[in-house]
Amino acid sequence: MRAAIANLVRRHPEAITITLVVLISLTFAIATGGSWLSVGNLQSLSQLTAVLAIMAFGEAIVIATGQIDISVGSVSGIAALTFLGLAPGVGCGLALLAALVSGSLIGVINGVFVALVGIPSLLVTLGTLFLFQGIGYAVTSGFSFAASTLVRKQFTYNAFGGGTAAEINTGVIWALIILVVLQLVVFETPIGNRLLAVGGDAVSSFSRGVNVTRIKFGVFVISGVLAALSGVLDSAFIGYADGSFGVSMELSAIAAAVLGGCHLAGGRISLVGTLLGAFILRGIQSFLIILGVQPQWYVLAVGLIVVLTSLVDRTLTKLALKR
Amino acid sequence: MDKIVSRLAAVPAKSMMTGMDGEIREGGSPKTPLISIRNVSLSYGNFRALTDVSVDFYQGELVGLVGDNGAGKTTLIRIISGIIPPTSGEVYFDGEKITKFHPKKAIDLGLECIQQTIGLCDNLSVGRNYFLGREPIRRIFGLPFLDKKKIKEASAKVVHDFGLRDSVDVDDEIALLSGGEKQTFKIARAVTFRNRVIIMDEPTNHLSVRERAHVNELALQLKQQGLLVIYITHDIFQIHRIADRIVILENGRKVTDVPREAMSSEALEGIIRDGAGTPLKGRSAS
Repeated sequence: MRAAIANLVRRHPEAITITLVVLISLTFAIATGGSWLSVGNLQSLSQLTAVLAIMAFGEAIVIATGQIDISVGSVSGIAALTFLGLAPGVGCGLALLAALVSGSLIGVINGVFVALVGIPSLLVTLGTLFLFQGIGYAVTSGFSFAASTLVRKQFTYNAFGGGTAAEINTGVIWALIILVVLQLVVFETPIGNRLLAVGGDAVSSFSRGVNVTRIKFGVFVISGVLAALSGVLDSAFIGYADGSFGVSMELSAIAAAVLGGCHLAGGRISLVGTLLGAFILRGIQSFLIILGVQPQWYVLAVGLIVVLTSLVDRTLTKLALKR
Repeated sequence: MDKIVSRLAAVPAKSMMTGMDGEIREGGSPKTPLISIRNVSLSYGNFRALTDVSVDFYQGELVGLVGDNGAGKTTLIRIISGIIPPTSGEVYFDGEKITKFHPKKAIDLGLECIQQTIGLCDNLSVGRNYFLGREPIRRIFGLPFLDKKKIKEASAKVVHDFGLRDSVDVDDEIALLSGGEKQTFKIARAVTFRNRVIIMDEPTNHLSVRERAHVNELALQLKQQGLLVIYITHDIFQIHRIADRIVILENGRKVTDVPREAMSSEALEGIIRDGAGTPLKGRSAS
């Protein structure tokens, strides 16, 4: 029995999260008399999950290398403001491109300071978190950007979070596409093997000829682009963005990744688990809303879940690696 | 480990296959260094880890690199294997000056280093560790994907041929292997990739007495296949039995470089124990 559990945890780190998803879904469905599982709620839940998951995928990739990126909330905010701010003037296509470029540039800044200069990622991304949050507030200074009817009619706007396809928000489709692509890159390609190796043991990876600097730099750029895409998808769905857009999202993204089986020490991640982690967090939020509980309790619930999951995860990992 | 030596006979060395690497004089005495270290120094801030070290390593010889803790042995091999560049001095490989120091460059040149504490990523499987940095690929729509079948087959063969436990699954994380098994695996990886230079940094740590004998026999066989073997150890008596030449480092300086026959193991031990004091002149083979 112990060996079977150990093997399951070793090969499928997301197993715990899948179990949690099933248990939570059943509990929430019963507790709300089925409302939690209504089509309307699931549609809303899937959009919220997708936006968080895309940001959390980037976070997971950074965590895979043993680093952390806490600037993703600000990146999504800057991207949302860029997208909605530029769309009326230059069109949604160019506005989207500008938003993604802004995210990648913030990723470049993070990557340069972490990979090339050697400053711990927590410090660097804490700095860029505040820096770009400040810029977001300064640029909007009390006002906000809203998508006009003309903007909402554009194809790109609808293809990137503002519309639906077969009753599913396009953001959900993007989340699934990104999941498949990243799953292949991380687990099926040489670059993915090296990325995980760097997180497992950077010195040993370097001794095997792996370009550790390039990988550490690259993950921050990927994280920046994904956080920016997340901001675009969410702002297109809401049709509105102000200086507070994306604030505290980084904490949910990190929580989703940890909940999904990503080890903060690096080297072991699960992208499917990260998607499920995002689903659990958003599921709890929607459950509390249906029950009419004060939204502040959501933060407490997330905190408790992250601590408990880390505890269970640590115990099971020790079990899995016991000879 | 038991099977390493017998397995080795079936592993053709790259140098033997090409027949082009370096020149070997009749009787096995080489004349062109495969690796030449010239006046190499390395400092970490104010601390000088290596000072003006010059030493040549020839193809087809087994060199014992000996010295006390902090003598500079590991620093020297880290320079040779591209992990750190020297502060000053030059390194030549096969007559070509090395201008870019990176482990990838060293591996591409056919240099494999088995180090004490590094070289394996605990979070990766046995198979993925085996190919880390030189993963076999198969292209799908022009995109490079890991050739998982090849990874599994090749690493499983190595695990089997080099006598690791039958229960070792190449899909298991390498963290599940014992210290001795990991060391054996590193040696197996170094041997099977058909290199020109094998550097063994304290290769017998974590190994039983019997396994140590096998590693020493393995080092001899690699040398006989035409490879350059640099064997780093504290144990002068052990290395004196198998090495062609002994190089002693002390406090970052080369203090002795002699053919095995020139000095007894007791005399060499005396140098290490009592400190250099005596100038290199008169002790050097060259």
